[in-house]
Amino acid sequence: MSLCQNRLTEERKQWRRDHPFGFYAKPHRTPQGTLDLKRWECGIPGKTQTLWEGGLFKLDVTFPDEYPTKPPKCKFVPPLFHPNVYPSGTVCLSILNEEEAWKPAITIKQILLGIQDLLDDPNPESPAQAEAYNLFKKDRPAYEKRVRQVVRENPAL
Amino acid sequence: MESDEDFMSVGSSPDDFLDTQGSDVESLGEDFGDDFDGGFSKDKDIIATKRKPYEVEFNVLSPGDIDRQQNLQINEVSSILGLPPESSAILLRYGRWNREKLIESYMDHPEKTLEEAGLGTNFEGTPKTEVIPGFVCDICCEDGDDLETYAMRCGHRFCVDCYRHYLRQKIRGEGEAARIECPGDACNMIVDSKTLGLLVTDDLKERYHALLTRTYVDDKDNLKWCPAPNCEYAVDCPIKQRDLRRIVPTVQCDCKHYFCFGCTLNDHQPAPCMLVKMWLKKCEDDSETANWISANTKECPRCHSTIEKNGGCNHMTCRKCKHEFCWMCMGLWSEHGTSWYNCNRFEEKSGSEARTAQARSRASLERYLHYYNRYANHEQSAKLDKDLYLKTEKKMTSLQSQSGLSWIEVQFLDTASQALQQCRQTLKWTYAFAYYLSRNNLTEIFEDNQKDLEMAVESLSEMFEKPVPELANLKVDILDKTAYCNKRRVILLSDTAENLKNGEWTFNVDW
Repeated sequence: MSLCQNRLTEERKQWRRDHPFGFYAKPHRTPQGTLDLKRWECGIPGKTQTLWEGGLFKLDVTFPDEYPTKPPKCKFVPPLFHPNVYPSGTVCLSILNEEEAWKPAITIKQILLGIQDLLDDPNPESPAQAEAYNLFKKDRPAYEKRVRQVVRENPAL
Repeated sequence: MESDEDFMSVGSSPDDFLDTQGSDVESLGEDFGDDFDGGFSKDKDIIATKRKPYEVEFNVLSPGDIDRQQNLQINEVSSILGLPPESSAILLRYGRWNREKLIESYMDHPEKTLEEAGLGTNFEGTPKTEVIPGFVCDICCEDGDDLETYAMRCGHRFCVDCYRHYLRQKIRGEGEAARIECPGDACNMIVDSKTLGLLVTDDLKERYHALLTRTYVDDKDNLKWCPAPNCEYAVDCPIKQRDLRRIVPTVQCDCKHYFCFGCTLNDHQPAPCMLVKMWLKKCEDDSETANWISANTKECPRCHSTIEKNGGCNHMTCRKCKHEFCWMCMGLWSEHGTSWYNCNRFEEKSGSEARTAQARSRASLERYLHYYNRYANHEQSAKLDKDLYLKTEKKMTSLQSQSGLSWIEVQFLDTASQALQQCRQTLKWTYAFAYYLSRNNLTEIFEDNQKDLEMAVESLSEMFEKPVPELANLKVDILDKTAYCNKRRVILLSDTAENLKNGEWTFNVDW
């Protein structure tokens, strides 16, 4: 089995054995009923005692053939209102960038926890969408109001 | 000032790089010298000293030299700090090869420096791979009993296959060498050359070392790669960024390419780097457009928008500011009284003022075009001469067969062609330089020098183009002219370089 497949199978095992509370991550099931290990459907809960508490945000994680040499692509569906999420939904985070902090030893669990941290702790140095970034920089109350609305629209069940 | 004196007064240059024509032509130049230079007593001094005022000290380094230089510094630091050479190498790369600063910071805070450079403090042992029972690789999740594994001093252990794969990706895929970190999450330990030697194949090692050499040259301020295609030499020159206001450091690589050490563009003496940058930018924006604007448009007397008249009568209303004026006299339309549509006025104040303003702005455009056209002309001519140069060899062969001259005896054509190229290059930049000069006595002298060189170059160019049968008879003339051109070029460059060094020029721009 290829390195990519092997590693993903193992990640799947590890996740089923143990994963952080409130998260979910499972390989995508194709219409034919087979599992596609290179596309995972994940959910990231907002951290407790933050603005994002009570929300659950759906994330598509796509692994390239070169995984784990190259990082997976993480995309919120639908696109999320957040300074570091591109209008397409793609997440901008250093550990997901091959040229920056991506290391082959980083696991799916670490990625999802990293994105959860990012929710309440945006990085103003690398804005990815104008709307959330501008509100975050210029009108914090309006920004927080929008976040609360986003949380209401994506409730954790 | 001290640094200026330094680089101007260092002993004789390794090779007198401007004398490409060789010694026999140089001596010719001296023999005939008195006939040409009417009273330039300066000449003698310039020729007497080995390095001319516009030349700088430099050294060409082959890839082997660069390696040796690098290793020398690594070993030196290694013995001073008492660290293994591969660790010293990482430290030096981290400190961008600033030895003194690095040693100082290491002496003050050894642990902090090591940490920041991506080195641990534990240097014992040679790296080796191990088989560890019960080990599971975090990357591929393999756990075989005979799995070879490796960890650097940071203790992040992975199987050798994954390590190799990772290093290959970094070196081949990303061209990284000096700062490859441990594959462990958030670990900034730098992979040293011993680890690399243990893990990767020979072809990768070669690439790795090539990349390291590249970062060495990129990191050092006194080293630059020769920009010529496929050239693998670097040039070592002590000229600093701040010296560029006073000197134009043209160097010649062993591959024969002349370039400016300051900006790595082709030789642009006598114009300083900053002016060259401004000029190129201006030309990129302006030249052709400016020509057209000058020929076809006028400016609105009020808001100076550029206007092209594409039909209709002389009553103009500016689209932008709604100013109404007469296209012929540029005066206010309201003052036109009854002579509408047939402007015959001349003396009214508003009209003449508008025309003066217009004339001023056009004059500056004209001025630019004057210099640009000459600059572009030399560029174009140099290109044509270059084509000619490519044909020179053929000419030389046919000259040998037609006139019975030996190969050595027809070399003068090659020499002449090279001189033409070089002089045109210089002339071209004198025009860019002149564009930014304010007028004074020095500019007069400069322009005289420029004119002399230009005339010499044009007449040499003319001789050079003569049909082959005539060339044999022109040999002495061409040799003379070549020597004269080279000499005029030396005079012009020496004059400008000295004035630049002493801050004598006044410019009409800030830079």
